Amino acid sequence: MIASRILCCAFLTVVLALAQPQTQTNSLGMDFVLVPAGSFTMGMFQPQCPAVGAGDNMTEAQYQECMKLAKAAARAGFKAVIAKPFYIGKYEVTQEQYQKVMGKNPSYHTQSVVGGATDKYPVDSVTWADTQAFLKKLNAMEKGKAYRLPTEVEWEYAARAGTEGETQGGKIQDLAWFMSNAGYLTHPVGQKQPNAWGLYDMLGNVWEWVQDYYDNDILPKGPKGPSKGTAHVLKGGGFQAHAKNIRVVVHAGGPGSVISSGFRVVMEAR
Amino acid sequence: MKRLRLLLSVLLLPCLSSLAADIGKIPDGFTPIFNGKDLTGWHVSRSNHHGTTMMAKVENGELVIGQNPIGEGGILLTNRRYKDFELYLEVKPDWGCDGGIFLRSNEDGNAYQITIDYIPKGSVGAFITEGITALGGTGQRRAPDWQKIWKRDAWNSFRIRMVGVAPKVDIWMNDVQIVNYQDDKNHALGGVEDGPIALQQHYTNPTTPRAVPNGVHRFRNIAIKEVK
Repeated sequence: MIASRILCCAFLTVVLALAQPQTQTNSLGMDFVLVPAGSFTMGMFQPQCPAVGAGDNMTEAQYQECMKLAKAAARAGFKAVIAKPFYIGKYEVTQEQYQKVMGKNPSYHTQSVVGGATDKYPVDSVTWADTQAFLKKLNAMEKGKAYRLPTEVEWEYAARAGTEGETQGGKIQDLAWFMSNAGYLTHPVGQKQPNAWGLYDMLGNVWEWVQDYYDNDILPKGPKGPSKGTAHVLKGGGFQAHAKNIRVVVHAGGPGSVISSGFRVVMEAR
Repeated sequence: MKRLRLLLSVLLLPCLSSLAADIGKIPDGFTPIFNGKDLTGWHVSRSNHHGTTMMAKVENGELVIGQNPIGEGGILLTNRRYKDFELYLEVKPDWGCDGGIFLRSNEDGNAYQITIDYIPKGSVGAFITEGITALGGTGQRRAPDWQKIWKRDAWNSFRIRMVGVAPKVDIWMNDVQIVNYQDDKNHALGGVEDGPIALQQHYTNPTTPRAVPNGVHRFRNIAIKEVK
């Protein structure tokens, strides 16, 4: 009898877990994707030196010095853990969604700039404070849910979608709008290939604000950002960013280039 | 008499040569934007692709920038924005280091640029863009023989005049005009008509050997004259 009750409880737990839908859409039409629990290595840094003679600009002695400095600067990184699944925006917040919540649209990329409707374009020209005002209003509008920015750990974990290394894997041109293919303009969300977990534009289009304060370091040293600071972290690079900034590891800080700053949100069940 | 002439010429030579080059002095009418003591009025970009943690310090009254950590450069921006102006500065880069002077930049470093690519096959004093649409104007944008004007292992001066929404750009290196260019339109990102001035240190990786270990760019006598 006891055994069957335990079995029944276990079964119910699995059913409930499975019942958590893979995607959800809220009343404003914002789509969310369930990101599974797990872990990854964050903050790993290994500078690479040009070979001796590369560009006629590296002598043997300089190469040896470079290798010494690279070794000293290298970091093994740390294990970042996502304890429970969470929902994150399938797309960057669009101008239409921002307008619905805030009653205004601060974006530079409007019809007069891009030559067509920009409802499905990511909202741009938002400060971190703007994201907080948006979230406050969204939380008031949507009962039963709790919305917030992702932490940097959550953002990078979601962007990686199980990949290791500094990029997302795949061809960057197929995944992201950036300096080499965007024509110096943003583009409607969801036009490039999604990552393995179905998230679009994690790299490129607009930089994305996350919750953490910026620490003035090349990469984070631990899973939690500083408790206070003067700027917040930006991730993912924008339409005007060089390929070097279109990498999941890039740990930038505000204020950023204003016209390329946007965000996506995390949704939690209350 | 002969001895006296020789003595006079030896004594006067340094004075004459410094007068001819006019290096080491901010020209009349310019206001310093670097105080020679600290980085007041300047900040490192936290979102530039060359790097976000570059080395920027003041040493012997000179503004010194370089990579930090190895491989990661960046840009050092003025806190103020400038629209139409003349900029004067003196620069002494280490051989093997790629840098530049950014004009009407944004925080990320999308900007008009004057190269200080002091590397093999590099070009110093060329007017180009960084992360904005390609130039299409008319006039001279680079001096093909910049090496004849440039002084190796010494201070070199730049005077840069940038005026207009579609800017007219004139650049003098060591008092010799090397750029005389009229842009076809405003190429600045988002159509901005002003922006910070920035000093750049390029990043390095195995496919982009644009700096040598511990190499730096030194600047001094950085001053501006706004054109109203």
